[in-house]
This record gives sequence, C-alpha cells and structure tokens, in this order.
Amino acid sequence: MTYRVRPAVVGCAIRPAITGRDRSLEEIIYDISQAALADAGLTIEDIDGIVVGCNDQFDGRAISVMMASGPTGGVDRDIMSTPSSSEHAFILGALRVASGQFRTQLVVSWSPTEVSSMAEAQRLGADPYFHRALPLDELSSHALQASALNHVWPNAWVFAETVAVKNRRHAAVAWPVPPARPRAGPARWPLTERLTTEPVTGAVAMVLAGEAFVTERGFRTPAWLRGMGWATEAAFLGDRDLTCAPALVEAARQAYAEAGVTDPTTAFDVVEITDATPYSELIAYDALGLASRAEIAARMADGWFARGGRSPVNLSGGVITFNPVFCTGLIRIAEIANQVRGCAGPHQVAGARMGLAQAGSGFAMQYQSAIVLGAAKGDAAKGDAG
Amino acid sequence: MSGDRVGIIGIGQSNFRSRRDDASYPDLVREAVVPAMLDAKLDFDAIDAVVYSLSPDAMVGIGNAERLGVDAVGGRNKRFLRINTGGATGISSVTAAYYHIASGVCDVVLTAGADKVGECGDSQTVLNKIWDPTYERALPLGTINMLAMSAVRYMQRYGMTEEDMAYVTVKNRRQAALNPRAHLRKVVTIDEVMESRVISWPIKLMDCCPQSSGGAAMVLASEQFIRDNKLDAVWITGVACRAETYWMGDRMGNNPTAEHADAYALGRSFEQSYRMAGITDPAKQVHVAELYAPFSNTEYHAIDAARLVGKFGESVKRVRDGEFELGGVLPVNPSGGTLCTNAIAVTAMARVAETALQVWGRAGAHQVDGARVGIASGNGGDHQIFGTMVLEA
Repeated sequence: MTYRVRPAVVGCAIRPAITGRDRSLEEIIYDISQAALADAGLTIEDIDGIVVGCNDQFDGRAISVMMASGPTGGVDRDIMSTPSSSEHAFILGALRVASGQFRTQLVVSWSPTEVSSMAEAQRLGADPYFHRALPLDELSSHALQASALNHVWPNAWVFAETVAVKNRRHAAVAWPVPPARPRAGPARWPLTERLTTEPVTGAVAMVLAGEAFVTERGFRTPAWLRGMGWATEAAFLGDRDLTCAPALVEAARQAYAEAGVTDPTTAFDVVEITDATPYSELIAYDALGLASRAEIAARMADGWFARGGRSPVNLSGGVITFNPVFCTGLIRIAEIANQVRGCAGPHQVAGARMGLAQAGSGFAMQYQSAIVLGAAKGDAAKGDAG
Repeated sequence: MSGDRVGIIGIGQSNFRSRRDDASYPDLVREAVVPAMLDAKLDFDAIDAVVYSLSPDAMVGIGNAERLGVDAVGGRNKRFLRINTGGATGISSVTAAYYHIASGVCDVVLTAGADKVGECGDSQTVLNKIWDPTYERALPLGTINMLAMSAVRYMQRYGMTEEDMAYVTVKNRRQAALNPRAHLRKVVTIDEVMESRVISWPIKLMDCCPQSSGGAAMVLASEQFIRDNKLDAVWITGVACRAETYWMGDRMGNNPTAEHADAYALGRSFEQSYRMAGITDPAKQVHVAELYAPFSNTEYHAIDAARLVGKFGESVKRVRDGEFELGGVLPVNPSGGTLCTNAIAVTAMARVAETALQVWGRAGAHQVDGARVGIASGNGGDHQIFGTMVLEA
C-alpha cells in the first residue's frame, strides 16, 4: 500500500514528567500543544485537524476529548479522539494527512496522575465477570507476562535486569537534569521494584504535515513516515500466549512492508520500545525481528542495543525512566521523530536517518504498533542498501 | 468523480430495544457485524482494519470496553482502533474508517460498535460526568437540561413553541412506526406529547429520545476494490467534522460560535462536506436527511444548520407544513431518527447507515422515493462535536 500523500512529522513536544501542581490538565494540554506548534514554527491557524489520545478513566471524565477542544485549539476545527491508545492518535492523524484532505494535523496525548488509584481505574478495564475480581491492573498483567516468559525462557529474568540497567544508563545521558526523580513502582512478582516505575503525569504533542505543506513551508528536517503498522490481540489473557506478541509481529510486518525494510536488525539507527517493564522490551526485540531469543544474549554482550551500539534502544531512558502511563506510546514515536529530525537533545544519535518506534498499551500489551520514520522521503532502508 | 472514492458496501443494525438481557455487550456488536459482513458478501479475511465505535466507557461500565469487542469484530491481529466523540462517535467512526481507505493504506474497513444505554442504570448520571468537575458538573448539568436551555433560547430567538416541538415528535414517531429497527414505534398525537410529563421545561417526556440497546456495523471499501470485485455500493462524497466550545457558559454571548440556539459548528461541518461533494444548494440537491436530534427541539437547529431552509428558524413553519415528512419535499429522519432510537455509541452510525440505505433504495417501508443524495449528521459531547456526511448512489 502507498499513501496518497506521504506524511511527515514537523514538530514535537515531549514532557514525560510534569511535576508541581500549579497547572490544571487544560493548561498542561495547552502548554504541550503550543510547544509542539512552536517547535514546528507554526501557529494553530496552520492546523487543519486535531486527534487526541485520552483516557476517560485517568482523566476522571466521560468523553475526555470535550475538555481538550479548547486547549488544543479544537474550537471550530475538526477534532477526533482515539481513547484506545495514544499511539492510535498518531496513526489516525497520519491517515488523515495521507488522504490528502488535510495539510496538517496536531496530535496530542496526556496522562494525569490525579486519580485516587490508578490501579483501580485500570481495573475497570477488566471484564466484569472474570478478570476484574482477580484483581487485574496493567502492572499485574505485565507481571503475568513476565512470569510466563520466565517459564518458557528461564534466563529471561537475567536479560530483563540487563535491559533495566541499560535504560537507566541511557536516562543519565538523556536527562542530565531530570524533571523528576524516577521512583520505583510497586512490585508484582516476578517484577521487582527495580523493574517498575511509578506513574507520573506527562504529555506529548506532534505536528504532522503532508508533502506539499512541507515543501511550501520549507521544513528542513522533517521525519517522513516510511511505514506504519498496528494490530490488536484478544482481550482475554487466557486466550493469548503471553510469551510472545503476535499483534506486534503483524504490526511490524505492515510497517516494514511499507518502508521496504527486509532486515530490521540493521535497518534502524535508533529504536524506541515501550518498556512498560523490561520484559516488554525483550518480547518486542523478538517480535520486531531485532533479535530472536537465541540471539539476545550475544546482542546484549556486544552492546548492540546500548548507546553507541548498532541499533540503540530507548536512548530516552524509556518508560522505566518516566512512566506517564497512557501517553508512553506516543512519546516513543515523538522520540524517534526527534532523533530523525536531529533534535533529540543530549541523547541524539549523530546522523540518525532511520528510526523505529514500537508502541504498546493495554493489559499485557494488547495493542501493538510499529512506526518507521526516516530523514529522507524515499530513503532506501539501510538494511536493504547493505 | 475520480476512481478514488470510498464506498459503503455492507450495513448491519440491531432491532433496538430498551433492554437486551439476552445478549452481552460483545454479543450486540456481533449481532450487527454478522449482517454487515453478509451484506458486503465478504469474509473476515478481506477486512484490512477495524474502527471501533464506542462513546463513554461508563455507559457500559467497562473501561476501554472496545478491548472486549475485539473478537466480536474479528479484530484479532488486525489493525484496530477506537473512536470516541460522544454522541458523534458513530459518524466519527465511519469518518475514521473512510480515512483508512482514502489514505491509500486499506482497501476494506469494518466499523462497528454497540451500546447498552437502557441497561446502564441512569445515562444522565453518566453524562453529567462529561462536564468540568469544578464548574459546570455541579449545576447539575445533564444532556436534557442542557438542551432545554438551548430550546428556551431557540424559542426566544425564533418563536418556536412547545407545540412546535411536539410536531417533530409526532412526525418522527409516525416514521419510526415504519422502521422495524426503531426503538419507539408507537404513533403519538400532539396532545399526548403536550400532556406528557415535563422532564426539564420545555422538554417533556415525549420530546426525549429513549435509552436504547443495540449495535450497528458498516463495511467500507475503496472504489478500486468495489469495481474489481463487482460489488454494489453507495458513495461517501462529502465528509467533515467541527467542534464548538466545551463550556455552556461560553455560549451566552453574541459571538456566532457562542450562541446556544444555533448549531454553529454543525453548520460549518455541513458547509465543508457540501463543498467536498459539490453541493451548492442543499435544499434542492439533497433528497433525504438523517439528522442527529435526540430531543425534538434540536431537529430544528439541525435542519437550519444543514441549510435545508433559507434562514435560521424557518424550519419551524416548514415542519408544521409537512415539508420534512415522508412524502414531503425533503424527508428528515424517515427512520424515526435519534428521537426514536438512541444507543449512543452507534446512534450517529445509524444516521449514516439509514442515509446509505435510502440512497441505495433499500430502506424498506420508510424509503424516500427516488432518493439519490442524502446527508447524515452526528452531535457529540455537550452539543459540541459535530460530524456530517454526504452520501450518493
């Protein structure tokens, strides 16, 4: 499949940890939207449509998009929302630009922490007859996944510890002055406190534009959408094999086919993975074709996924550093966009031209997305170029 | 038109009722998906993506309840996302499905959902939670008293009376009686509406939509796919969405975006979808309209905003004259509309589905003779987020 118009990311704003209580949610959304527009050098007048990714349970509202129409600039504009996940907001925004019927889209997501119990808010997402009484929250679902993986792959816990250390080291570079001190989250066996991070308030916004607009406004470093895939698994954990991620395999297949990627192990200069836990990152390595389970030990030993390695993963520090739960997926995409645009900050990979963002969300990563962004519109995938 | 159009090739809807104790929430979704797939003459392997239509989670009592619908829509390992724009969700979902295809990414997309409003306990308690917790929630606002304020303003501005409101109910109930899928199908008289108990003046019980349970589904496809597979279709030729201010208190000024009687953003959305479809005189070029109007008074400003009349407020006299009835010049809500059926998550999808059936010539007993061009709309939030479409045979 080809896009009628190829979308590009021309502006991003990422606030993965918002501290202090002096800003209301509306003000946080206004701030992040304006910051993304400023990053793009645009004003709201340049925006044709808006897609927000927001979650009623976390926001304490029904139809959360309503409140967002003002602070995002949605009044007298086309605004839609994807409450299924933050990354779905990017996908819908990209589809809208790709249709050629919009010059631009503003994509915004946020994740507040004012809810009295995030675990209880998440527990409402479990089916009321079987899972809700367990009780099941997202961390528990990730723990079940970790346990399942440890069962079939006895060394998984060792690699999970290694991934956590790697991402925390990356965070030290990415955040020389961190906006907040990442705090360990609660433990859920086999997830120790070292492998989890307490949820924090965060927000992210991106500006997407079509080819003609990019040319007209002279954007010098757009991040072109080279491939995009997304898929879901079944809701009931009992219907799934938690040791693998078939929906991510499918999402990657879609994205790589669009991008012309045949060897993902060498195609990407930089990768961001939604490491809700380090086990999630391990499962994603396999599903994305970055390394099979048999290869992971060798890849980790030679620093393949670490800073300076062949295909560094989560140079931003990942979710284990800052965990704004609902918008972690869109943050991964924005991080890769900034890497490809050459403006990622202290953790920039010099000369990054192709990047991969994996976004996962829901219980045990039910929703999976893979987004390939490139510095050049028609760059041959690096792996293909040999 | 070029060969890049997006067509509707399959439609499925429940027979909407107050309660569906016989069916779980995913069962209701499936109940609509199966006939839509049969109508499209496709199996699930042909579906490239699914757009799930679900408005407030609280209405079904499950957070992110779309996750539980994945198997009902055959979504496992497929592209899947959910839309929520409140009452407009259904038309927004069709719109999102449209962009999946218009982008060139997908050929065939299923959009589906269901609601159990009749079983949620009290929809107004849920809907109170759409307002800001600090300022407007405590009034306490609900969608009925919100639109009662709109009715009062419309009365003041355009001279609408309570009896005028009753005319809409009588018209739509008469039309719903012909539609086997409609929830409220009992024909009522002006006197019965006027004598029904006041819910929030001037809105009375029979000026209100019911709380319905049921599902809806549609299959959309690219023009190329439709031609290659020799499928029958009707076409989406205009599509748009526009939002208003969130705050009730901001609709009391003189700015056109802040007038509670008029549906400014709905009008803007219709303008854009007409422009896209090449419609310059909707009153003459449109043959049938399914306009989202959950309370009788709101059908007036929907007709106004759709420019089916010359100027705002003219709709009142013309409804009385029978121009918007089945058999009239331009039938509005021949299915009975939202006033007779409101399963919120899919109500606006039903507007698109019913319009599609009309221009297809497959609407049954409530068919508008010769309908070839139709319009549909959806209203979401606090009369805030609007979606519109033009469909053509």
